[in-house]
Amino acid sequence: MGLNRNVSLEAGLGYKGGGPYWTYILHRIGGSALFIFFTIYILALVGVQAANGILANWVFQLIFLPLMLFHAINGLRITILDLSPKLIEHYRTAINIEWVAYILVVAFALFVVLRNAFGG
Amino acid sequence: MAARILSLSKRGFNFEVFMWAFTRFTVIAMYGLMLVGILGGLSLSAQTGANFGDILYWAFFPNLAENPLGQVWMTIVAKLMVIAFVLSACGHGVHGVLEILDDYFTSPTARRWSRNFIIAYAVIASLIAMYVIWTR
Repeated sequence: MGLNRNVSLEAGLGYKGGGPYWTYILHRIGGSALFIFFTIYILALVGVQAANGILANWVFQLIFLPLMLFHAINGLRITILDLSPKLIEHYRTAINIEWVAYILVVAFALFVVLRNAFGG
Repeated sequence: MAARILSLSKRGFNFEVFMWAFTRFTVIAMYGLMLVGILGGLSLSAQTGANFGDILYWAFFPNLAENPLGQVWMTIVAKLMVIAFVLSACGHGVHGVLEILDDYFTSPTARRWSRNFIIAYAVIASLIAMYVIWTR
């Protein structure tokens, strides 16, 4: 097991994995965002005012919602391909469909966030 | 590219296979709850005249937005659904965060501690969330 592997950030970013690689990276970033959101959400539930303040911040929402939604939509693609292995041959098409769905959903989500932030 | 399909019997049934299945099943449970939530939101939006966007916003940020559905939040079904979602999310997240931590903490001791920490975190967070959701 590669316990001592040492891949620099530069080497990681330079990896030419294309679309699938970036969905993998974004999925991890989205998962980490969800973990942070969940922690703040729990703190808000127990009544920590600062946590409420963070959740109420529209900049926070603007950054975290797209990341969390990407995790959810990409996770759906992964689950479908995992449970229907014959579809793996079409994984690039699946990723393209995922991006279209993601852009539509995130556009709606950001519209709602901005409308709530600026009271339009 | 030819798909590689390995039957469950050939994969064996070790911890990794169990956690792979557990992660998939918890995420399917979450998608199911999301679907029910979205359909319920659309239905309630039609019945009450509440904006669907407001319902979604409240679902993501319940502490900030006024509940556009009034009394619905207080029903036992809604509470059970949210608790089921929180538990599924915790179960799913434990394995996900653990995978990420395992990539960065490489010594066996650090891995053992990160594992203990994340499992303890998930249990405590779940208990707090269940208590607050149920008693609110």
